Amino acid sequence: MNSVDENGVELSTDVLVIGGGPAAAWAAIAARERGAEVVVVDKGYVGASGAFAASTSGNKVLPPIAELRDPVKFERYALGGTLAQHRWWDRLLEITYDRAPRVWEWAGYEIPVWERTVKSSYRGLQGSETMRILREVLLQKGVELLDHSPALELLIDHEGAVAGARGINRQTGVPWTVKAGATVVASGGVAWLSKALGCNTNTGDLHLAAAEVGAELSGMEFSAHYSPAPIHSSVTKGAYYRYATYTAEDGNELELSKNGHRSTSAIAKELLKAPVYCKLDRGTENPEVRQMLRLGQPNFFAAFDKVGIDPFEQRFRITLLLEGTVRGTGGVRVANDECGTTVPGLYAAGDAATRELNCGGFTGGGGPNMTWAIGSGNIAGRAAADFARSLGKAVNERAVQRTGGAGLRARNHTLSYDANAVVKGVQDEVFPYEKNIFRTEKGLVESLAALDRLWEKVQGIPLQDSPQSLLRSREAAALVATARWAYFAGLQRTETRGMHKRLDYPSLDPAQRHYLAVGGLDRLWTRKDAVPEAIVVDGSKGAETVKAKVAVAA
Amino acid sequence: MIELVSESRCIACDKCVKVCPTNVFDAVPDGPPRIARQSDCQTCFLCEAYCPADALFVAAEAHQHVEVNEEELVKKGLLGVYRRHLGWDKGSSPIDRLETYRSLAAKVGSPI
Repeated sequence: MNSVDENGVELSTDVLVIGGGPAAAWAAIAARERGAEVVVVDKGYVGASGAFAASTSGNKVLPPIAELRDPVKFERYALGGTLAQHRWWDRLLEITYDRAPRVWEWAGYEIPVWERTVKSSYRGLQGSETMRILREVLLQKGVELLDHSPALELLIDHEGAVAGARGINRQTGVPWTVKAGATVVASGGVAWLSKALGCNTNTGDLHLAAAEVGAELSGMEFSAHYSPAPIHSSVTKGAYYRYATYTAEDGNELELSKNGHRSTSAIAKELLKAPVYCKLDRGTENPEVRQMLRLGQPNFFAAFDKVGIDPFEQRFRITLLLEGTVRGTGGVRVANDECGTTVPGLYAAGDAATRELNCGGFTGGGGPNMTWAIGSGNIAGRAAADFARSLGKAVNERAVQRTGGAGLRARNHTLSYDANAVVKGVQDEVFPYEKNIFRTEKGLVESLAALDRLWEKVQGIPLQDSPQSLLRSREAAALVATARWAYFAGLQRTETRGMHKRLDYPSLDPAQRHYLAVGGLDRLWTRKDAVPEAIVVDGSKGAETVKAKVAVAA
Repeated sequence: MIELVSESRCIACDKCVKVCPTNVFDAVPDGPPRIARQSDCQTCFLCEAYCPADALFVAAEAHQHVEVNEEELVKKGLLGVYRRHLGWDKGSSPIDRLETYRSLAAKVGSPI
């Protein structure tokens, strides 16, 4: 293998997009349509990487009719603890309504017109199909794709602006450098290698790299999203649990819903005591209903078909798997309307960016996540293209500097570390429900102490004897960094809001209606960022929705 | 996790090596790819979806290795099952799948 500090493949482009999912694809398409040359680099395979290709997601493709759009906006506003912004929703819904149907068009499929007028999420193609089409589109539009090419660090110019990235081809071991006028980080959220469906490419590598060049994070306290899965499996598809009856070992029914919705806290509380079983037997007797559900989510049934369980007839044991900021919220802080960060030349989109702008402190599952991916991808791609153009053609002749630290280059040259042991150490702090779902000051302080020790460890000499070990060493550092930001922000937010639950502060505190920026590498910091004026709901069409949903969220 | 690369079915196209998001396979010259890093498998089933020869089997067990028997899998129709359900197998299309879904949804609606 070549060393990470050797030169390897060198490319020069206007816009570099890092990631392989929908936000990355849309950013690349948007930048290309704006006339920019675009290179996409991804840890996996552009089109199969990331949560969406494996797990699919709903979307909100809604015509500009207030009766259709308002309920979506007001619902997340309420569920997310009033931190979402209608202004962002309006932009995202507009872009998604315009762009999402293009996927059908590009594939030569007839666009289902009725889908665009019904009052429901857009029942679109599977994630695997959508991403297969988007990959083809990228290639047709002349975007250069580097698969299996994880970005390990960002490059900066002498003024600190981001000027591209460096990484390695994990299959050949050849390092690569892409110099670029602008860089879009669309590399997914972080789920701490939980094996939640499609989430194991999402290790926060670029969150760490962004922080190393001075970018900020936000909303990391809203990273405690867990989804149910059959205990043997990876399949964290939650929607069909609405048809579930929950039972204990002895067959007695358990009440694990709250106001008609699945309650993660209730399930977690029960799981801490005893096994929990499910059967999808509420309203699913009709064979045609069963067939419909099968066709709607083929991946949900993959977990059952292969082990010979009929989930409509037989009960199955469940667990909760951590999905972190992939279905939760939190990520690189979006500092302006262009999805730019606080660092010139660096943009963030999709799960890698904080989703507080449309989801507040709640999950964006069920459609808002995809609306954010398409919306922020398009916004970031366009802005990156314009920024790169403004720098002129000679921009890639700039002298650049490498910025990667922990997990890539040692600061402590006397110690080496075992990346897998570090990963296990982080997981021991972020997986347990009693630590992450049911947060307390004591628990967070203890976890942070453990995570600080791991952070010290990853300052040591990373194992780099194969491309895989090199990557895992860096991933381990990123998992530590992101866990520290999540819990440090969680410690500062002394209230319960959205997905952030504090047992010692069980109520929402109106005085803490603000975003929490977080950052730092050795020394962590937080800052309260103002949220626009609260939306007055009395008299508006969404008022009833908000009142109902606030009641649910409380 | 990935448990089987069928020697008899594999056409050595290395598509799985290319598409696997977590890089569990190593290509082998003129032969079926090797499962080189099984514990990295995230059980996303995408290699199966992309395999044109239905030569792969990703067991639903995500957190532990399980023994599988190829003959039994074939008998149960489990090789290529996910690809068929996506409408990615030969002679099928994702749109057919979606059309059937839609007509059923229009007929029976949401069960709750």
